Amino acid sequence: MNEASADSGNSSVPELGHSLRQTPLFDAHRGLGAKLVGFGGWEMPLAYPGGTLAEHRACRTEAVAFDVSHLGTVRVSGTDGFDRLQAALSNDLRRVGPGRAQYTHLLSEDDGSVVDDIIVWWVSDDVFDVMPNASNTARVVDAIGGEDTTETRAIIAVQGPMARSRLGTILPGAAAVPRFGVAGFEWEGVPCLVAGTGYTGEDGVECAVPADTAESLWAAILGTGVQPAGLGARDTLRLEAALPLHGHELGPGITPLQAGLGWVIGWDKPAFRGRDALLAEKNAGPRRLLVGLATEGRQPPREGSPVTKGSKIVGTVTSGNFSPMLEHGIALALVDTTAGVSPETTLAIEQRGRAMTATVVKTPFVRAGQWAIGN
Amino acid sequence: MNVPDNLRYSTDHEWIRSDGDRVRVGITDYAQDALGDVVFVELPAEGATVAAGGTLGEVESTKSVSEIYAPVGGEVVAVNRALSDAPEQVNQDPYGEGWICEILPSDPSAVDGLLDAEAYRQLTAG
Repeated sequence: MNEASADSGNSSVPELGHSLRQTPLFDAHRGLGAKLVGFGGWEMPLAYPGGTLAEHRACRTEAVAFDVSHLGTVRVSGTDGFDRLQAALSNDLRRVGPGRAQYTHLLSEDDGSVVDDIIVWWVSDDVFDVMPNASNTARVVDAIGGEDTTETRAIIAVQGPMARSRLGTILPGAAAVPRFGVAGFEWEGVPCLVAGTGYTGEDGVECAVPADTAESLWAAILGTGVQPAGLGARDTLRLEAALPLHGHELGPGITPLQAGLGWVIGWDKPAFRGRDALLAEKNAGPRRLLVGLATEGRQPPREGSPVTKGSKIVGTVTSGNFSPMLEHGIALALVDTTAGVSPETTLAIEQRGRAMTATVVKTPFVRAGQWAIGN
Repeated sequence: MNVPDNLRYSTDHEWIRSDGDRVRVGITDYAQDALGDVVFVELPAEGATVAAGGTLGEVESTKSVSEIYAPVGGEVVAVNRALSDAPEQVNQDPYGEGWICEILPSDPSAVDGLLDAEAYRQLTAG
């Protein structure tokens, strides 16, 4: 037995050694017997002893907690904060207001492709917590300014249909934050922040807690019957929900229009980074689009596999896996618009010399809760 | 990790149990733990002839795909069809219900060249 090709969409580059950063919850993960993996420069739990599939099902049926402290936080404050964000990021903050969170993109000036996808927590009038992907924090600071506060806090995501009821037994205020709302709460007398956001397709919240206090909050959340879950389940959950992962469905060369995320663009804004390039693409029509594919068997489609229609290659799988809820393979793929595919079109995924029949389907693949990114 | 004394092992993390003329093959506890949750097993064809070190099939988890190599050459005389619907048996019972296939070795003495339990424990230690 030997590893032929290991790529999950989780850890495409092996990261070993002692240069990895550790979150304030690292000791807690080790104590729980987590299998650890390098991801985005951080040493993170891949799965706890129960395994990825059990964690996935627990999130769809009950509630799980993830350590997502590896996401960056950039605090932007001051009277010019609003204008700086409006100029740098694609979405329009005028759609929301203080006490709300917004999903948005940082685009490339050159081609409108996605430098990073970001959640902005609008904390109070002149205070914004901008949350990029782990490895993109420096790029976001370059574009917007602000202070990298990642080291000062942990972020705990509590997700699942019972996330709010279980969290509510210890923190009723935090558990009541509206979907895409942002609010303050206190844990052991220390001020914290909570947002009604997540990355699983389920209802839930994300709590930002000062680093020193994080371990006690994590333990208290697990004490309510919420199970810990790792990056493995985070990836299969977000794929079932068809939520994009930077470096896969978004990234260099891939625009929000190609990824089907046109609603992230605040076209009413006179200017933002990448607007001109994106407008040109909008007028010409994107050359490829992200589609959902469902296969018949259990074999997981894998990133990078060609997608064919008849004898012609028409696209590439950007993420694929076994769907624990549907019990067959699912994938997201960028497919040429000239191929003329629509829901129910039959395509094939070519993998290690074999072709798997793949049907174009509407996404999300699983809509257990009604929650997806959006606002 | 569980390494039963009565089995032989390959350096590629397969186990081998002699049973009369034939040998039963599976992947070790160490291997299933490294893979994580197994969601798909591609079994060899019954009746196929495999060379020692040749590919027997594939085991896929949510995070990776790994090939299974034939620890000895010979004819595949049985495969564990139950894994098609229940690949999780590879995780839950790697030395029992999670077996992969049975081979009739072309050279019955080939098994003697494989690792014993103590040697496999040393291979996977640390």
